[in-house]
Formats: sequence, structure tokens, C-alpha cells
Amino acid sequence: MTPVPDRRWALAAWAYGLLVATGMAYYLVDVPIQLSDSFGNIIKASDGTLGSLVYNEFFQRGYLRPFLWGHLRVVLDVAGGDLTAWFRWWHAGQLLALVVMYLALFRPRTATDAAVTPIGLAMLVGLHTFHGTVREAFPINTFMTILLCCFGAMLVVEGRWRWWKDLLALLLFVFATLTVESGLLVWVVLAAAFLAGARGVSKPAQALLLGLFVGYFYLRFSALEVGAPGLIERSSGFGFGSKDPEELIALFGGNPLGFYAYNVVTSALSVLFSEPRGGVWDLTRDVVVGEVRPYGVVNLVASTLATGAIAAFAWTRRRVWLARRFEPDDRLVFVFIGVLAANAVISYPYTKDVVMSPAGIFFALAAAVSLRQLAGSLPGLGTRGVVLAACCVALLSGTWAVRAVGAHLGLRTAAVKMRNEWAYVDAWMAGAGQPNWDDRARTLRDRLQRDAILSRPARTFVVGDWTTWFDHE
Amino acid sequence: MSPAPSVPRASSAHPVSAHRAGATTGAVVRAGLFAALLALPVLAATAWVVGFAVLETVAGETPLSRGTPHNIAEAAGMTDAGEFLRLRAQGQDPNWIYDIRPEVISSQVLRVNALEAAVWSRQIALVELVDREGLIPDAATRRELACLAEDIGAADIAHRLAPEPADTPCDPGQAMARVFARNPPDPD
Repeated sequence: MTPVPDRRWALAAWAYGLLVATGMAYYLVDVPIQLSDSFGNIIKASDGTLGSLVYNEFFQRGYLRPFLWGHLRVVLDVAGGDLTAWFRWWHAGQLLALVVMYLALFRPRTATDAAVTPIGLAMLVGLHTFHGTVREAFPINTFMTILLCCFGAMLVVEGRWRWWKDLLALLLFVFATLTVESGLLVWVVLAAAFLAGARGVSKPAQALLLGLFVGYFYLRFSALEVGAPGLIERSSGFGFGSKDPEELIALFGGNPLGFYAYNVVTSALSVLFSEPRGGVWDLTRDVVVGEVRPYGVVNLVASTLATGAIAAFAWTRRRVWLARRFEPDDRLVFVFIGVLAANAVISYPYTKDVVMSPAGIFFALAAAVSLRQLAGSLPGLGTRGVVLAACCVALLSGTWAVRAVGAHLGLRTAAVKMRNEWAYVDAWMAGAGQPNWDDRARTLRDRLQRDAILSRPARTFVVGDWTTWFDHE
Repeated sequence: MSPAPSVPRASSAHPVSAHRAGATTGAVVRAGLFAALLALPVLAATAWVVGFAVLETVAGETPLSRGTPHNIAEAAGMTDAGEFLRLRAQGQDPNWIYDIRPEVISSQVLRVNALEAAVWSRQIALVELVDREGLIPDAATRRELACLAEDIGAADIAHRLAPEPADTPCDPGQAMARVFARNPPDPD
């Protein structure tokens, strides 16, 4: 292997990244605009002016997401009558941007980097926390938007200071935070990177960001009295299954701190080990009842080995970290730890795979830089060490390969399911709690149903026992 | 963009020390083995994913699937409501008797119309869709479908199609037998 930076290896890694993004985009654009989470949003977003839409969202109860609606409205206006093409390709464009940002942060330069790039990207798209960013859309996937903001923040804070980086960091924070609550993690990325020595954003700007971070809570809870969603608003995973709001209140109503602590801990474990998922210990339950689904084991092995690689990297670099002499790869792992902790904390009221997606993408980055670092220690090992390491690497790569395929099969499964939703649109509209849909809604229904169902033949589910190895449901 | 990383990557440091020890070849082989083990499984997965997409685009059928329904009766039998509506919009008649493949419903059910196939799918939502679309032409057909639902043990569908008891009850097994009787004669 060539040990020194070589433009050819960098090009190979970037070309591979483009192939991965293009391949996934093929499956992504096949997923129709979904009915249940998108139809009402489009109707709402098309009302009034962009300004009034965003302004009114500052005065909602429970949620403060004005730019979520602003973003949706802008694409809606640009799309004109071609909603499906615009929204689906917008999603594909976001995916491509994420892959590009991933590679920009990973900085592939050597043969080792090029060898690590495929598994790094498999971790990016194959981790279960990522699934919800591509299998769903509302019709813009808000979580994907936040992932882009987080990676964007990391790119901004690295390298030399520039005045425009300060401005960009501020804009990213404000946009992300007022898009969805997990946008607060943009500040965590910037602050953690700063603590680890990144100086792309100046100290005054970091101080201003801290002020904005604190100000957000004042704005939300005091000035606007938006508040937060309560325990009673949705079901949540707990133990071996999902609990209804009533069951949660019965269990924790008097003192929900235990429930919140459970959500924080299980959210972090989910990223590190893929178990539990959404607060539910699926694999453990399957083991207890003796009906283990193969993909659960694949997920556990893949994530545990990747977590082990990160832990080994952190251990080998502990002295450098304690001396606060962080290098870019150190920073990526350090920021991952910060984002994981913060992401888990903001999941306190409600744990769900996709909510942990920011921690998930940094997990993929941290694991990749750890692997390239550990790759170098292989030639120094004895024969037994090499054999053991080779077995671990083969298992790691094999399991992540399975997860990457599962991510694509999952998109196909989502496409079939969402297409079928549109067949039952009239029943859905009748049961949606809004008895009098106007002509605009009916016109939109006809247009989206035509795009989803009538314009082309169906894709179909893949079938067979082999599919139980893949997390695609 | 970020400056060049100065993390002392062992990949660049160790081959040098290995060379000093006179073990350059072994180190390079090990590094190559490691790289291959790391990259090849995922590259194979990517090739699979891309190959799947190319095959699907070229052949027009999803590989490793039951295939696209060949007609509106197959669409109903496979509970593919979207394809059911698309084929209907293309002009296929849901009351026409179609040949369907044995794997769609069973090897005993080879000639059905889409309404019967919908009942056989046991998906009440699909039967409701058929009804809501006004595809059941008359009371006699409705009763025949309800009897078929009873024959296959789909009581919820039977009740949905005929909520009130009929003057003359279904003759058990006869609706199903009428469908079986349409099968082409067994060559053996």
C-alpha cells in the first residue's frame, strides 16, 4: 500500500463516494411523496405568504420550528406544479451534499484512507439512525437538514479563521435551531470542536453563539412561552415494547425523571451498539423468546466492533488529548463524543432512532478515522495479533456491508408502502379529522396520487428468507 | 478547508520501521491484506446495490421479487392496491376473468376476476377500496363475493360485503368451487 498522500487514492475515494450517493439516489427518488406526513404539511405550507407562515410558527404551542415551514414553502414555490420531482430530487441532492461533506471531513489522501472510505460510507448510510432521514420525508426531511447543518458546522470550524466563517456559523446555528429542536446540536458541534482546538470560528463568535444558545431557551420558554411537548403526546419505547401515553403516565406520571433518564441512556446505547432501538430492547427480547432475527445480530456485531475501534483510538490518543494537542482526527472523535452525549440528553422526552441521527453521522466519521489510525498498527503486530485483527476487520466489514445493502432495500420497501398509501388516500382523508377538504386539497390529492401510482408501474418488495438478514422494514 | 492532518498515522510510520527491520515485504503484504479485508465486502455490497438498480432498469422488473403483477387480478391477489388502480386507469376490467400465476393466490386458483382476487387477498382495506370505487356491479356479484369470503374463512370481509343476512344463505364451499372449476383441465 502507498503510505503517503497520493492524488489517485483521493480521487478514487471521491469517485466511490459519488457512486454511493448516486446509487442511493436511484432508490431514494423512487419513494413517492408520502401521504400521512406530507399531505397536510403541503396544504398548510401553501397558505398565506412565506413571511406570515414563518412568523406564525413563532407562536405555536409545544414546537418552535418556523424555518422548517419556511424551507418547505420555498421548495414548494420553486416547484410550481412539479411537486414530486422537486421534493424527491431535493432529498437526493441533500444526500449527495451529505456524502460530499462526509468525505471533506474524512479527507481521504492515502491508500489506507481509500480502503477505509467504503466502510465509512457504509456506516454513514447503514446505521439505523440514518434510515429515518431517507425513508421518510415531510416532504422535506427535517432530520436530514439538521445533519447537513451539523456537518456544515464542523467544516466551518475546522481550518483557519475567516470572517465569513463566523457569519456562516451564526447563520447555521439560527437556521438549524429554528428548524427543529435537534438543531441545537449545531452549537454542540461548534463548541466541542472549539474545546478541541478548532479555531475556524473566532472566540467572539463562539461567545455570541453561546449567548444565542442560552437565548434560545429564553425565547422558547419565557418570551414566546412555546414550552415543550409533554409526556402524554406520543407513545414511546420502554423495555421490551412500546408504551402508550396512558401507560407511561401510569408508570412515571408522578415523577418522570426515571423515564427521562431511561431515554437518555438508551439513546446513547442505541448509537454505540444498535441495541436498544427507540428505547425497545428488540434483540434482547428475541433472544429471551428464542426467535432471533439475523439482522439484529448483524447490527449488534457491526456497531460493537465500530465502537471498539473508536474506543481503541481514544485510548491510544489519550495522552495527546490530555495535553490538549488535538489533531483533526482527534477532534472528529471528540466532537462525536460531545454530540452523542448532547443528542442523548435532548432525547430525554422521547427516544427514536432518527432523532439520534446527528450522533449517528459523527459515529460513522469517528469510526472511519479510528480505523485508518488503527490500520497503521497492523504491521507491528505478531502473527496471532494479525490473525485476530484480520478476523475482526473481516467481521466488521462484512456486517457493515450487510447493513449498507439493508439501507437500500429499506428504501425499496418504503417506496412500495408509500405508493400503496396513495391507493387509500380517500379513506385517509375521510379519517384525517378534517371532514371538509377544499378544492385545493382535492386537486393536490389527484396530482400526488397520479405521480405516486398512475405515472409508472409499481416497484415490488424483494422476497425470500435471505431478507431476514437485512434491516429493511 | 482543514489543514493537512498531522496525526501520526501509523500507516505512514510503520512501513518505514518495518523496512529498517528488513521486513518491508511482510508489512506491505499485511497492510494490503488489511485493506482488502476492510474494503472488499463493502465494495461487493455496493456492486450488488448498483447491479440491482441496473438490472431493474434494464429488465423493468425488480430482481428477487415476486415480480410486477401481470394484470389487475394479480394486482388484487398480491394486495398491490396502487398497481390495481393504475391498471384499472389503463382500462383493465376488474370484472373480467384473468389468468393468474399459481404463486399469486394458490396453485388451485388460476382464473379469477380482480374482485375475487381482492377477497382472496384477505385485505379488508382492499375490498373496501374496490367497493368505494363502485366496482361491484350488482347485488348478485356482491353476494357471490360475500359467499366466497365465507368459504375462505374471511368473516370480516363477508360481513363488510353483506352486513345484513341474506334471504338465502350461502351454500358452503360452492362459491370457491365455482372459481376452482374455471381452472384449465389438468393435462395428467
